[in-house]
Amino acid sequence: MGRWERLGPRARQTISVIGVVLALIAVWETYKLIWSSLGWIRPVRPDDVVMPHVWDMVIELFRPVRRGGSLLIVDLFGRSLWTLREAIAGFLVGGLIGFGLGVWFVRSRLAERAFMPYVVASQTVPILAIAPMVVVWGGSVGLSQWMAVSVIAAYLTFFPVAINTLRGLRSPDPNSLELMRSYAAAPNDVLWKLQVPSALPYIFTALKVSATAAVVGALIGELPAGFQHGLGRALLTFSSQFAVQSKKLYATVIVCAAVGILFVGLISFAERRLVPQRGAKE
Amino acid sequence: MSVVSARGVGKVFGRGEDQVEALRGIDLTIEPGEFISLIGPSGCGKSTLLRLIGDLTTPTSGELLINGKQPATARTDRDYGIVFQKATLLDWRTVQKNVELPLEIMGVEDRTGATRMLDLVQLGDFAGLYPWQLSGGMQQRVAIARALTFNPSLLLMDEPFGALDEMTREQMQQEVLRIWTETGTTVVFVTHSIPEAVFLSTRVVVLSPRPGRISGLIEVGLGHPRDEDTRESADYYDKVTEVREALRHQENGG
Repeated sequence: MGRWERLGPRARQTISVIGVVLALIAVWETYKLIWSSLGWIRPVRPDDVVMPHVWDMVIELFRPVRRGGSLLIVDLFGRSLWTLREAIAGFLVGGLIGFGLGVWFVRSRLAERAFMPYVVASQTVPILAIAPMVVVWGGSVGLSQWMAVSVIAAYLTFFPVAINTLRGLRSPDPNSLELMRSYAAAPNDVLWKLQVPSALPYIFTALKVSATAAVVGALIGELPAGFQHGLGRALLTFSSQFAVQSKKLYATVIVCAAVGILFVGLISFAERRLVPQRGAKE
Repeated sequence: MSVVSARGVGKVFGRGEDQVEALRGIDLTIEPGEFISLIGPSGCGKSTLLRLIGDLTTPTSGELLINGKQPATARTDRDYGIVFQKATLLDWRTVQKNVELPLEIMGVEDRTGATRMLDLVQLGDFAGLYPWQLSGGMQQRVAIARALTFNPSLLLMDEPFGALDEMTREQMQQEVLRIWTETGTTVVFVTHSIPEAVFLSTRVVVLSPRPGRISGLIEVGLGHPRDEDTRESADYYDKVTEVREALRHQENGG
């Protein structure tokens, strides 16, 4: 057994992840070095505005946002909490709606045939186009602005959950359903004792997709919203000042990615707890 | 009262041009405590007949009564225990919890039946394990225990040992005979193995295809208990030959 195998699976995973990050940084910096020394400007100009050094992006996090203001990382941390709240609220609501639709569709072919086309069509609508409308409508029915943003997050969340829940609820072996029939099981027993447990792996796959979608939905929803909070607002502000503030924009993008990864990580953690891992004993 | 009473039972799948007649004019009476095998070539409707008895599908003609009741009533009265070729155990439940599942659904608080059945199939020591930690034969024994926990009056088995190797299969046959003797449950057993049908049954029902109908009823009459010596006895060979000839006869249009 080599040294690599002797490390635990956790340690191996951590080392792999860090290795990939270092490799990506190396590619970025190598490109910048070669292209600037040869004077090439295509496909991407390697100057410090378009492609700042990675360490400069990180250093930027520890500089004040504006003269006398708080550090960028402190500011972005507060904004992350704001955006995460929108994303999580939307994720929970969208997840429940998606699960409910899945259950409804598996019980009623008619409902599936009647509504599935609209569920699919809902996702072809460009979210950027409807986000301002949702924010305005949300305001007119008395939703506070962050809640209106959550609606966008929910809108992106419910679809993968509905599709995968439906698929998961249909996954049990026909013989298992026949056994349930032979026990004269009530529909709710079939749902909770057979179909939902069988669907859990499918549902968690959807939740991981949805977790990132909810964060993206929250970021996009913040663009037309009037408030000054949230990471989406920061992206908008810094991108309008790209020529002078590019490092701030890149730093914000890194934080947005971290928020998404954190969210997916939480879901994976819940999955390991709730879904029995086949062969976990080895 | 007969456990199964079929009079002129037929089953047609589909409609119009695509119509397929799976069974025609089935007359069959099964008495309490019998062990009946349904045997025949593929497409003879033996599984369909089992599914009709278990109310997993409904006849299109004739009269079928289970314990004197309509099959649907017998099902809601929980008269059936069913074992399929696949064990279809729930992966996320332990062996014990799998066997308890029917009791749980039927609202039976007393779970000692599950433990007793696990002991009966000699898997009491494996109650805490998960299905995927067991061999195929053990999984099938769990499925049998699960089918019997609520004391159904009729045990339906659809090629339950079809996926097992020959040695495991013979052990399982022995096991099923022992369980049948100890519980006194009536068994209807679908198989395409002639020796299996003869070794297990009190009577063998021979079916012929297109459309499926009963072409022979053979009393096995080998006496009990049956063991390895039974498999080597002359009477056993005679019965195997008799069933084989009944099956061959139908091929020649007999």
